[in-house]
Amino acid sequence: MPTPTTTAAPVTRPARSMAGRLARVLLGAGLVAALAGGLTFGAAVLNGPSGPPPASDAVPAAAFEQLSSASLAAGIGQLQQHLRAQPRDATGWATLGLSYVEQARLTADPAYYPKAAAALAEALRVRPADNDSAHAGLAALAAARHDFGTALREADRALAINPFGARALAVRIDALVELGRYPAATAAAGHADGIAPGIPVFTRLAYVNELHGRTAEARRVLDLALGSADDPGDLAYVHAQLGELAWSQGQVRRAGGEFAAALRADPGYLAAVEGRARVRAASGDAAGALRDLQTVVTRLPLPGYLTEYGELLTSAGRPAEAARQYAVARVWVKLAKASGVATDLETALFAADHGDKAEALRAARAEWARRHSVHVEDALAWALHVNGGDAEALHYARLANGLGYRNAMFRYHQGMIEKALGRTADARRDLTAALRLNPDFSVLHAPLARAALTSLGGAP
Amino acid sequence: MSRFAAARTGAAVLLAASATLIAGGFASLAPGQAVASSHREAPLISGQPQYDNTDVYAFVSPDKPDTTTLVANWLPFEDPAGGPNFYKFATDARYDINIDNDGDSQIDLTYRWTFKDHYKSKNTFLYNTGAVRSLDDANLNFSQTYDLTLIRRVHGTAVSAQRLASNVPVAPSNVGKASMPDYATLRAQAVRPLASGGHVFAGQADDSFFLDLRVFDLLYGGNLSEVGHDTLHGYNVQTVALQVPSKQLAPHQPIIGVFSATQRQNAAGGFTQVSRLGMPLVNEVVIPVKDKDKFNASIPWHDAQFGQYVTNPELPKLIQGVYKIPAPATPRKDLVQVFLTGVPGLNQPPNVRPAEMIRLNTSIPPSKAPNRLGVLAGDKAGYPNGRRLTDDVIDISLQVVEGKLLGAKIPALGDAVNANDKAFGGAFPYVALPWSGSDVRASGSGITPAAASMARDSQATPLTGGAAAAPRAMQPKPAPASPVLPMAAIGVGALLLGGSGGLWLMRRRHPSA
Repeated sequence: MPTPTTTAAPVTRPARSMAGRLARVLLGAGLVAALAGGLTFGAAVLNGPSGPPPASDAVPAAAFEQLSSASLAAGIGQLQQHLRAQPRDATGWATLGLSYVEQARLTADPAYYPKAAAALAEALRVRPADNDSAHAGLAALAAARHDFGTALREADRALAINPFGARALAVRIDALVELGRYPAATAAAGHADGIAPGIPVFTRLAYVNELHGRTAEARRVLDLALGSADDPGDLAYVHAQLGELAWSQGQVRRAGGEFAAALRADPGYLAAVEGRARVRAASGDAAGALRDLQTVVTRLPLPGYLTEYGELLTSAGRPAEAARQYAVARVWVKLAKASGVATDLETALFAADHGDKAEALRAARAEWARRHSVHVEDALAWALHVNGGDAEALHYARLANGLGYRNAMFRYHQGMIEKALGRTADARRDLTAALRLNPDFSVLHAPLARAALTSLGGAP
Repeated sequence: MSRFAAARTGAAVLLAASATLIAGGFASLAPGQAVASSHREAPLISGQPQYDNTDVYAFVSPDKPDTTTLVANWLPFEDPAGGPNFYKFATDARYDINIDNDGDSQIDLTYRWTFKDHYKSKNTFLYNTGAVRSLDDANLNFSQTYDLTLIRRVHGTAVSAQRLASNVPVAPSNVGKASMPDYATLRAQAVRPLASGGHVFAGQADDSFFLDLRVFDLLYGGNLSEVGHDTLHGYNVQTVALQVPSKQLAPHQPIIGVFSATQRQNAAGGFTQVSRLGMPLVNEVVIPVKDKDKFNASIPWHDAQFGQYVTNPELPKLIQGVYKIPAPATPRKDLVQVFLTGVPGLNQPPNVRPAEMIRLNTSIPPSKAPNRLGVLAGDKAGYPNGRRLTDDVIDISLQVVEGKLLGAKIPALGDAVNANDKAFGGAFPYVALPWSGSDVRASGSGITPAAASMARDSQATPLTGGAAAAPRAMQPKPAPASPVLPMAAIGVGALLLGGSGGLWLMRRRHPSA
């Protein structure tokens, strides 16, 4: 848990991923070639040269827990070497599988998922019974692919073997949250806090509180996590979450301070760069915001980021460039699907505003068939709205806002649906609430919210 | 969990000994933003080694035989050259050394260290702003202090808490020669007397443990084709140490049980035990992977739940598979004595309830010429009677697990690493000074030439015969030749050993072992 001392800590930047290269290729050239290139990425599980392990295999068995994001790629290489020499190391295979899941997260390259699946299958082949780490890895993989039902089942299998396993406890909370089983998620987070306190559990506990509208408690728990965080990755993550919490309450300056703190801990931490972009846009620095978002989407071409960048480009009068971002988002969705990632929620959110509206509704209904989280309820409500189904949309919008989550976008969606239904008083109330929560909640939608509210006669 | 538990969990990710290791710190995998913006992916893996017990030592103080020294280490693999880093104790944790002084497996005394952070200036990220010549030097921008509390318990329940020391300074991280030109002075200033008798210390130190972690390849049927490299060479840990009159620890009878535990504050405001360590290697070799977390959360009173792993251990079967050395017959009563009850006539307290602790007979005087193989070599002041810094617990444990105490004729099993990479001190706190950032950096790779040569010399030593082939240069205090001793000489009766009777003692090809 080193802390920077007399000089700046080494800057840790995620390696330029295949997906990152993909994005740049897409931005410049044709989509087809890039798509093909991306899909060929998931090659052998153990890549690299074969042969006897090198001398470096002789050195300390530093725990995987101690790998940093910066050393993850190197750690994977050494794990591969180690497993060539010791292929009976079931835990090693499970760790390799989990490393691939983490690598996918860091690089936004879903081609790591099939490799993760292969490594985890090997772990279970070597040790079919009592292999909680393999099941925890499968749970993490399923969650990363948005298959939360499988994630929950695998987490439970891991916990049946090892009830104290911190990773399985954490993924279990994630799965319950994403399945919309909030009372169970609250109980699971409390249980995990009692037996495995630590940053993975604290950050999840904070999120469960935030989703229920207990913002102050969420902040307290994140502060606790911050107090025990020392490594740059943890510091960056927790500061960024504190930034998001402040941002969601419209506290732009405070959010900016947290994102800056995250970037001091890890200058390459893209979630904080993206947060800083929103703060810059809200503070009138559109050029700085565009620069930041370009950095983000070049490295992490995820639909949410691309949409945000596209909307900012549009607001800056650059619609052609915006269209290119949306094209990349569509390709990413295809790539992710090809790697076994369920992308209906992303498709619904993206397509409702920037794509095929019918497709948005189909995707939202498909996701609703799988799970009932507030995010799915909100996406379904909005997809129904843009397709003219406002009466049904209102039902889902109320569900989405019913948990207590203070989310300006959710509230805005409900207000616009109410406006379409002619429920003027409700619409004024909810649009006002959205803008009060965070007047800058979206470059595209905040101005629309203000215009709608004005047309209805302003705040009640 | 201990470092090795972590290593097992981590599947022995063998990171380079060079500075590339952990260069970015013991970081968690920094989570990228979620693949879906609506699906928040928090860290799954968090680097929090400051809560991990690594090793515990308990021995009669060699220079003050009426006192006992207890040492516990946390935060493995502190890399002094891993960038401009410093290390600290967690402030939301309780660092405990627990004592059972009547053999009932319930804690009677808890010595608890709790830490606070101090910044001279919050406006700088600098650890120090100039050369640090004393612990209260204004140039030491970040520092820690601790309180030491003695909690007395009856049937495990706390009945009193006595503050033994307050606001004691922690010896800082040895960040380099330019910043800390005379680290030994800083260490000396961090050793404080206790009004109640004895001394206390907390701070950075060289990792006292020495071993080749590749021995753990045995756990998945690996062949020990290459051992002999002290994989902890060049790494530091966070150490707490205490020296108190033995009478304070053991007022009624001389045998104490010792283990360390870490409690961490949870979000609900309580404290949760997240790590536990007594005897070395139990956590990593005896307890199977699936039960490690449970063990770390458990208390000795419930250790019967792990008893099967001691009486019917996995390791000898794995060794049989690789080396054709027959696994001793089970159930292993000899291992119960070593790991759970203490050995009768040596370090077993009366009316003992089996529990995993280091058991030290404080009435056995310290050895003038400690043998790294401890009791196996007739030196009953050493492991498994307590644990001294110099005891080679890997070699001892391998031989014990293979049935040495049952009279099995086995090769001189070992990892071919027979001594620590740095000499221990002759007085409290005994642990070696921490590696300095600049020292190690100067060597370029984190390995000093001496160590590299040691590793080279030892390359040819496989599992069997490792001890014999270990380079003599690494024997700090050559012990006298240890011929086969009569059992009586070490005070271990044949009764206790059972089996084929009689302690089969080491025959060493080299007297230096």
